[in-house]
Amino acid sequence: METIHLKKNIEPDLTIAQWFRNVYEAVKTTAIGLGITFKYVWAKPVVTIEYPEVREELPENSRSRLFNDVENCIACLQCATACPVDCIYIAAVKRPTDAPKIKTKDGTPIRLDLKQYTIDTALCCYCGLCTTVCPTECLTHTKDYEYASYTLAAMKYNYLAPEIRAWRTRIVK
Amino acid sequence: MSTHTEHKTDDKIILGDQEVLKSDLLTLNMGPQHPATHGVLRVEIKTDSEIVVDAIPHLGYLHRCFEKHAENLDYRGVIPFVDRMDYLAAMSMEWGYSLTIEKMLGTEVPKRAEYIRVLVAELQRIASHLIFFGTYAIDLGAFTPFLYAFQDREEILRLFEELSGARMLYNYVWIGGVWNDVTDDHLKRIEKFLDRFEEDLKKYHSLVGENKIFIGRTANVGVITKEQAFDYGATGPVLRSTGVQWDLRKKRPFGYYEKFDFDIPVGVGEKGSVGDCWDRYHVRVLEMFESVKIIRQVLAGIEAGPVMGKVPKIIKVPAGEIYMRTECPRGELGYHLISDGGKTPYRLKVKSSCFTHVSMLPVMAPGQMVADLVASIGSIDIVLGEVDR
Amino acid sequence: MHNQIAETLNKAVPGCNAVVNTATIGDSSITVDSNFILEVCRTMKNCLNHEFNVLQVITGTDYPDRIELTYVLASFTKNLELLLKTNLPRGDKNNLPKINSVVSVWNAANFQERETYDMIGVEFVGHPDFRRILCPYDWDGHALRKDYVVQEKYLDMVVDPPHKNNTDDQMFGKRLKAELGDPKSVSASWKDKDSGDAEEAKDGE
Repeated sequence: METIHLKKNIEPDLTIAQWFRNVYEAVKTTAIGLGITFKYVWAKPVVTIEYPEVREELPENSRSRLFNDVENCIACLQCATACPVDCIYIAAVKRPTDAPKIKTKDGTPIRLDLKQYTIDTALCCYCGLCTTVCPTECLTHTKDYEYASYTLAAMKYNYLAPEIRAWRTRIVK
Repeated sequence: MSTHTEHKTDDKIILGDQEVLKSDLLTLNMGPQHPATHGVLRVEIKTDSEIVVDAIPHLGYLHRCFEKHAENLDYRGVIPFVDRMDYLAAMSMEWGYSLTIEKMLGTEVPKRAEYIRVLVAELQRIASHLIFFGTYAIDLGAFTPFLYAFQDREEILRLFEELSGARMLYNYVWIGGVWNDVTDDHLKRIEKFLDRFEEDLKKYHSLVGENKIFIGRTANVGVITKEQAFDYGATGPVLRSTGVQWDLRKKRPFGYYEKFDFDIPVGVGEKGSVGDCWDRYHVRVLEMFESVKIIRQVLAGIEAGPVMGKVPKIIKVPAGEIYMRTECPRGELGYHLISDGGKTPYRLKVKSSCFTHVSMLPVMAPGQMVADLVASIGSIDIVLGEVDR
Repeated sequence: MHNQIAETLNKAVPGCNAVVNTATIGDSSITVDSNFILEVCRTMKNCLNHEFNVLQVITGTDYPDRIELTYVLASFTKNLELLLKTNLPRGDKNNLPKINSVVSVWNAANFQERETYDMIGVEFVGHPDFRRILCPYDWDGHALRKDYVVQEKYLDMVVDPPHKNNTDDQMFGKRLKAELGDPKSVSASWKDKDSGDAEEAKDGE
């Protein structure tokens, strides 16, 4: 058997006068509080956005769904190197020397044929490191934020697949 | 009062000078899924009737071994992970980390970037303390202040979203500067926000802090003395509430803090005794006013210029070590970096203030009612992402 | 400051062998003998000139030949900071290195030492409540050791199951190389540690 000593919270002595003072203060301060909250009944604008009906427009440089414009991609692998979670998979093959010369929008010659450009969005942490290193600015964050899916496999975006091109026109600036 | 005592059934329990009702000790698990533990903290409470005899915190439900991650990432790639420690004050986390690396590299940060860093860090402090303000009121049964706090925080988050592109995990403060420049429009909006916010905050304080019921729940509850605070290594608002004037922004200035004029609010035991829950609440509210003061000075002093210093494309930190402390909303954040000269840190240890504050629960809890324990946990304002790392 | 502290220490704790490591970049530190850590810490706390009243953090670093513990002390009254280091042998799984606990000096050491044990694997003798803190109590190994390997199974749960790995995409580049028969012409991002893929990823930059 041992004795456990616990310290007690300090409680001021409660006299009858103090008791009434407490009641008075409680009523008074609560009334002040109610006065503050009561103003919100009509004097303040409504701030809640009723989401599915009203959709908020995200700011210009919002970091949401990633999009790669594969036609401008030079397969430099810088995004994959910068990615802290390694969710970007790229494979490219050297263009044959006799193939016609192609260039990106900003004039960088494309020397590699892109064979695979997949981003596993389920792994992506939206840090934005990949888009800042992109030399041709083909990899961008879009403002689209409604892309929940039922399976993990659907979160893998193969940007070379034709169905991805469908949302290009919808969201890319 | 050791943290792991096996209590026997015939133990005698004395509370103050009275022997309390002696039934068998009941073990209660508070958490990990408990709204009042602010995340996934599990506190094993031993109670006799309603009096807590012992509280043992169990951590690790959110442990992802950030430090091991950091050993495998390049110096820039660590920043997104740093964000995810204290996700309510990510800017401060990033700033501390960037300062650590900059100090090792000897990078000079442009003036404008330094101003912006102070600006976002102080806005972040307001946002973080607003969360405390709101959730603490919820812990004690008041729901409305939570909505007000989130409404104001939303404005700050919207601003951060426009600056960095993300709402909570910004990746905005980079090694050598900041990612994006603020526009004059932003600064004007911040000024407008501050004018309104300062007025509103006074109202919020009289709604919550001055309320007799709130005072009854917090005054004289969970008292931490100065000696205990030093002994357990408490920092930040928890230390200041015990009456110690210690703020790294003043005592060991980093960034541009030495240029600004502001006070360090300390707890004086206005409603109860020094170092109780109400003091911790009040110190945070006063700090928000100080932050407003600092931001006003930033807005007056900010000058045009670049926002990114010269940093090599591939960062290689010279071999050596450094321990860098910064003042975050929840206390001191320390990064202990050991580099071997390579592209990745050899060892990056984070000193988290929340972790030390959790270790104070076994001191605060014994002798309290269970409901007061909720008030105590809320008042130290922990974020489990930082506790578990 | 460091030289002065080392002098004080050598005088107050004979045998502690305090050596100053002066650094040109970053912070300097003091290394002491691990057998005297408790006495050294007590001296540092009570030393009137410095008064290190707060233990900030205890951290361990795993080097190939030793484990280095760093005690970061701070004085909130004199506004000082000190990195106190001590070296321990690495030991092995069944024979962890041992060092005296400093909980009797600062209570802050309680959680810090538990964390150091959990992550680095150092046994603190005399700790009042010595358990793991972040990992489960039945976890195997100490995660921040450089040679740490994750256990394959934990309580019938397979760690890192293969069906959750995106091998399809990871191996795409490798398959492409095999198909084309000319590995030099393919550049792929996935770094396969077994082959030389990592090198090629760098070339592609």
